[in-house]
Amino acid sequence: MLMANRILQYKKPEKSYEVIVVGGGLHGLATAYNLARYHGVKRIAVLERRYIGSGGSGRNTEMVRANKRAHETLPFYKESLEMWDGLSAELDWNLMVQKKGLIALAHSEGEVDSMRMQGDMQRRAGIKIDMLSPQEIKKMVPALDTSDRTALPIVGAQFHPEGGTVHHDAALWGYAKAAGRLGVDICAGVEVTGFSIDGGKVRGVKTNVGDISAGKVHVAVGGYSSEIARMLGVKFPVVTIPMQVMTTDLMAPFLDYYVASPRLHWYTQQTLKGDLILGGQLDPWQSWNSYNTWEECSERVASILEYFPDLAHARVVRSWSGLCDCTGDSAPVMGPSGIDNLSLDIAWGYYGFKATPASGKYSAEYIVTGKVPEKIKYFGLDRFFNRSRVREIII
Amino acid sequence: MAFLLHCPNCGSRGPYEFKFGGECKSAPEPGSDLKSWCDYLYFNENMSGFQEEWWFHVMGCGDWIKIRRNTVTHEIAGK
Repeated sequence: MLMANRILQYKKPEKSYEVIVVGGGLHGLATAYNLARYHGVKRIAVLERRYIGSGGSGRNTEMVRANKRAHETLPFYKESLEMWDGLSAELDWNLMVQKKGLIALAHSEGEVDSMRMQGDMQRRAGIKIDMLSPQEIKKMVPALDTSDRTALPIVGAQFHPEGGTVHHDAALWGYAKAAGRLGVDICAGVEVTGFSIDGGKVRGVKTNVGDISAGKVHVAVGGYSSEIARMLGVKFPVVTIPMQVMTTDLMAPFLDYYVASPRLHWYTQQTLKGDLILGGQLDPWQSWNSYNTWEECSERVASILEYFPDLAHARVVRSWSGLCDCTGDSAPVMGPSGIDNLSLDIAWGYYGFKATPASGKYSAEYIVTGKVPEKIKYFGLDRFFNRSRVREIII
Repeated sequence: MAFLLHCPNCGSRGPYEFKFGGECKSAPEPGSDLKSWCDYLYFNENMSGFQEEWWFHVMGCGDWIKIRRNTVTHEIAGK
């Protein structure tokens, strides 16, 4: 579709660029777009070894939200969530931003307490958060079984009204098209195989189509960051784990909100088209294979059916998985890499999609100024050595 | 099922019987500096290919076993 409508043409890379972005996913394209649009960088290339959005950018569950816990990350996610609102107009492309609201179910008093505590942190950061009673939940989601017949009855929920969904392919095309219009060379099928490093400074990249020199190199490769680490001879604080997602066949609209159960590791939403997206827990082991397993599918479906018994007739029609490079503290690694002129935007785990607009903005700012912006100062690689890891919980 | 793991005590079993213990690393010497310990605790080779890793047969014999597995293809070495 991209090629048919001529809204984007893949380019052959030239010999030299001001900035090379490694990775043609959402973060890479957003960074390239921001560099071209707001910082006047002229010669930018985005190098992607397969096709744009072939990794996590096209494999996530399209959820955007800011209900994290750590005070270090909340302002960043809040800004990112707000940035989605204006992006359709800015990129001149409908991203189908739908802030339908996110309901996170609690199955015990302990979870309610934890959500209250998180809610206080989130409200302090200016994020709208409410608690719901089972009666209120039932009114909002009539299909949900809030009775005590379920295995773990619902005792409350956290409501995040600004959370919602954005169409991930639309976001990808939007950024790619806008970046292409600004003169960014988007090169698919170009695989980075190494870096030219001279005197502690990166001078360019080696690829399957020859060496390309660059003033600055930015790494935004999603789940594949450790392959870059091996080229650089370093290690990153990540483990790559797949996350499996499924969709059902189409049905009449019945679910207005994004409903999640952090305790039982599932979430579901009905897309504008009518299918349900069912997710998602990380696989229990490390893997670089985007596979799906019957065990994961059945466990997720059984748990969701317990709370949505009317879905018994629904069929899972499609499934996929994406790779998440997870850090131990559920926060990304952004900024300096330890090598001059080489910047990082990695380790986004399963929360990279919602962070796209802000990470593009601040990555671009860091690349141009060389100073770590205030909002991402807690995401540095050095936090693992100076006891300042982000105090995030898994949500 | 994604793949089968060979437990020396119980034979070939599905991976859902096991708890994944991560890649095999060697701990720093006692008295090493903080940087070495942080490196050991948080940083991983995170290999895309064969790596030696720990698996705990939680629903079987209850032993920790080392397995060489290809993390891309899920092939088990020396089966």
